[in-house]
Amino acid sequence: MGNSRSDIDTGEVLFKQGNKMAVQGIWSGTISFSLVAIPVQLVKAVEPGRVSFRMLHSKDYSPLARRMFCPEEDAIVHPDEIIRGYEIRPGKYILITNEELESVSPQRSRTIEIVEFINMNEVDSIYYDHPYYLVPTKGGEKAYRLLVEVMRRTNKAGLAKFVLGEREYLVAVKSMGGALALMTLHYSEEILPDEDISPRGGEIEAEEKSRIKKIIKKMMADFSPEKYADERRKKIMDLLKKKAKEKVPVEAPQVEEEEGEGPADLIAALKESMRKVKMKR
Amino acid sequence: MSRKVVEIAGRRLSLSNLEKDLYPSYGFTKAHILEYYRRIAMFILPHLEDRALTLKRYPEGVEKDFFFEKRCPSHRPGWVKTAEVSRDYGERMTVCLINDLETLIWVQNLASVELHVPLARVGSPETPDFMVFDLDPGDQATILVCAQVALILRDLLSRLGLTSYVKTSGKKGLHLYVPLNHKGKTFEDTKQFSRAVAVIMEKNYPDLVTAKMAKKYRKANVFINWAQNDSKKTMICIYSLRAREKPIVSFPLAWKELENAARQDDSEKLQVIHSEAVITAEKQGDLSREVLVKKQKLPYL
Repeated sequence: MGNSRSDIDTGEVLFKQGNKMAVQGIWSGTISFSLVAIPVQLVKAVEPGRVSFRMLHSKDYSPLARRMFCPEEDAIVHPDEIIRGYEIRPGKYILITNEELESVSPQRSRTIEIVEFINMNEVDSIYYDHPYYLVPTKGGEKAYRLLVEVMRRTNKAGLAKFVLGEREYLVAVKSMGGALALMTLHYSEEILPDEDISPRGGEIEAEEKSRIKKIIKKMMADFSPEKYADERRKKIMDLLKKKAKEKVPVEAPQVEEEEGEGPADLIAALKESMRKVKMKR
Repeated sequence: MSRKVVEIAGRRLSLSNLEKDLYPSYGFTKAHILEYYRRIAMFILPHLEDRALTLKRYPEGVEKDFFFEKRCPSHRPGWVKTAEVSRDYGERMTVCLINDLETLIWVQNLASVELHVPLARVGSPETPDFMVFDLDPGDQATILVCAQVALILRDLLSRLGLTSYVKTSGKKGLHLYVPLNHKGKTFEDTKQFSRAVAVIMEKNYPDLVTAKMAKKYRKANVFINWAQNDSKKTMICIYSLRAREKPIVSFPLAWKELENAARQDDSEKLQVIHSEAVITAEKQGDLSREVLVKKQKLPYL
């Protein structure tokens, strides 16, 4: 609908980098602890670099939609007929309604209430889930800077429970490059047991140990992630840029918006009835 | 503040300011309003039953400020029936149900002159009992243009096998109701269907109809407001008074009456005042009864 083709022809929109996009708040509220309350906005800290493709119909380039399919009936199932079941054993389900799910969903958070402070170096990186930034909003700048500075110096982080979307997360609020970052953490029950991972037994010889140590020392560098890039992504983007220059992009058939507002049968019946109504008048 | 205690169906109600003129240009007091609703009760109650009421209150009369009240006031008597409905984000809200005369009178004592109700009942908030076409004329269009559009719509729907019923909005518009009265269709369906109808009407009668909300398209045209087919929307209840200079009622019409009014170019016939409403309803019964009982299926969906 608002899908202007000319944007795509210039190639600019298509190849826009994630990090050039305007910062958009996902949530706004306050961070609070004790008597402190800082108004903030939550924004994304990372944008996964996956190149995504639309699936098209080869014969006319119409974008395709996903439908739920019933293999038993060999037919597409109408959304009205789709319900949720939790599989307790193969083929055995407990049914659950939207209302039931909603009744156990947490209320949206208005505050990030820090309940305790911890040493960030005690948190193993396996607990890190997804990073965000917190940006101060009007009136909160001073308190925000103070908290950033104190947490940076002490390497402390605030722990809080926080509802985003439909889930309640355990989050750590910490200082990161002069700003506050919010890291959603995995719950401990999500961490898989590691007992069987590390092999047991056998003394390690001191000579072997020192040999490996030496190799590592020789290969040491500062961590500079910009040296590495997602090679596949880079190649795909280069390929797309090349193709965009060489070829005019294919176009989906222009669907007349209004005609698309009902099932084909209904539109046909309406047209036919309308013709008869007009004839009679 | 003057008070008068009355007893209705064994329940005591304290009515206030009965002498207050709520339609000052016409001269129609709160006592008149209560009397209107008392006499129309047997006709209006089935249309209000089990529907989440939105009160539109005019404490200082219809020419002064009003306010909407969706929550049932907490100072309500214990016998007022209520329901819990969920709003966006799962928030719960208690609403009034006008299921009996005493509640109707209590609500009118709050100067809730206009009664607005959704198209679905509280027990099944996602399945509308009817599909509506809210015909809303632009500034330069009249109710007679609405009548023309309504008559074409009736014919079009009838060719699709659907019987429709019409009422005045009590203002400048008309409302077409297509009864469904089964749980097979959701608001998604009625919205899709009514939108397709509105769009084809617009295409075939571009000088009469618009299917677009924006005011600039209305002007001399009638806007077919298909978007009223939504669980969050309400319509003025059949037989409700409207808040305007005179106590005009949203009143059901026989198609013949609408045809006659259109032919005679007589828009006065489409403005039904309180006394006429009571007399006509008592004489002919509820013309819109079928809206509540007739079962119809939306074809081609």
